[in-house]
Amino acid sequence: MRRFDMYVPANFDDLLAYIDEHPISNEIHLIANGSDIINRIQRRQLRARTLVDLSGLDELNYVKKENGTIRVGALTTISDLISSSIIDSRLEVFREVASKFGGPAIRNVATVGGNICAASSSEDLLPVLLVLDAKVRLRSKGNERVIPIEEFLKGKRQTDLKPNEILVETMFEEVDNRSACAFEKIGMRNSLIIAFVNCAVYLRVDESSRIEEARVAFNRVAGKTPARAKRTEEQLKGTSITTNNVSRLEPVIRGELRTSPDFRASAEYRSDVACVLLKRAMNKCIHELEGR
Amino acid sequence: MAKHLLKFTVNGKDHALIVDSHERLLDVLRDRLGLRGTKEGCSTGDCGICAVIMNDRLVNSCLTFAIQARNKHLTTIEAIGTEENLHPLQDAFMKWNACQCGFCIPAMILTTKLLLDQTPNPSEQEIKASISGILCRCTGYYKIIQAVKTAAVEIRGDN
Repeated sequence: MRRFDMYVPANFDDLLAYIDEHPISNEIHLIANGSDIINRIQRRQLRARTLVDLSGLDELNYVKKENGTIRVGALTTISDLISSSIIDSRLEVFREVASKFGGPAIRNVATVGGNICAASSSEDLLPVLLVLDAKVRLRSKGNERVIPIEEFLKGKRQTDLKPNEILVETMFEEVDNRSACAFEKIGMRNSLIIAFVNCAVYLRVDESSRIEEARVAFNRVAGKTPARAKRTEEQLKGTSITTNNVSRLEPVIRGELRTSPDFRASAEYRSDVACVLLKRAMNKCIHELEGR
Repeated sequence: MAKHLLKFTVNGKDHALIVDSHERLLDVLRDRLGLRGTKEGCSTGDCGICAVIMNDRLVNSCLTFAIQARNKHLTTIEAIGTEENLHPLQDAFMKWNACQCGFCIPAMILTTKLLLDQTPNPSEQEIKASISGILCRCTGYYKIIQAVKTAAVEIRGDN
């Protein structure tokens, strides 16, 4: 393996001071538990001379709920997330993601913050965080800012993270009585697979079961970037969940997706499947809302 | 290149080693500590063969930097059972002939041991989920699943 140095910060303040002096660049890269790092080094996708190991910063591993806002620390693993009692039946969507996320040994190390910062279409968590309208908190020495995750994700492996910043947590509102959220994914098999397409949906309905707000995200809206499908969302708004007919939306969905082909699947297949996944995710949300 | 002092516990024994930044946990276990029961499969996190238990959780040792195991407690296949006194899972794997080439078996035993420690009476679905990250190219998994069921009964002692 290509040689590099590993810097192990003593604590969080030490980390902020270190990245203030040594800003993140092609030469310096932050890693959480590193589940995709060895692969990226061996494929020469990552050529950093120094890795900064965040895995010991236990203070960034938490799931909290305050005034209806759920906050998840950046170093919370997928296993930690779904074993938290705060992730209740309304947020079952995270367990749905987890059940199709790598295998047990990957879920035990892959972190929420690592998924967000990796910013690739293979991260199954991102569509769900997008439809939950999650925000991210970014810290640097003496500074802090909170921005929507939608603004944070700039493109394939591109984020709004400044060279001296670290993502410390993501937060989103709890799913209330009139809302539901669902996730669907399709790949070659159930475990350890990168999705051809995945899809997350969030619906909020009014008293007469009309969709007040719809949020839809796919991992491949524009090429290889996870993003919201805003035009599809607009079309869903105001419709009744009892007479829902997603099929009529197919032209809108197809018009909005810029799917690209690769060795996993063709662009056409991805668009076809995206429509099916949206239907299934919508049905799951509707089923849940009707059951309340 | 920076060297690190790695202190950790492997199979109940404390170790202190000087490791390089780029050394993988898998190589340290196999080459520095001589624990060759942990196998290297794909080296990319796809096959799960290199799995070990770190602080009561399964991790792929090929994807973990050695230095990230600092202050952690590790369990490898060497700590499960002895030749005279097999773990019930090992016994059941033999009874069911669930090992053919045997290459995935250390990881299979470790992940199903974790399962049975937490879930003494697992459903077939739970057994399948627990081995879902580990590829076996010989058995078709059927015999492995049967062996885990047998071991679960044996461990619960309700046969």
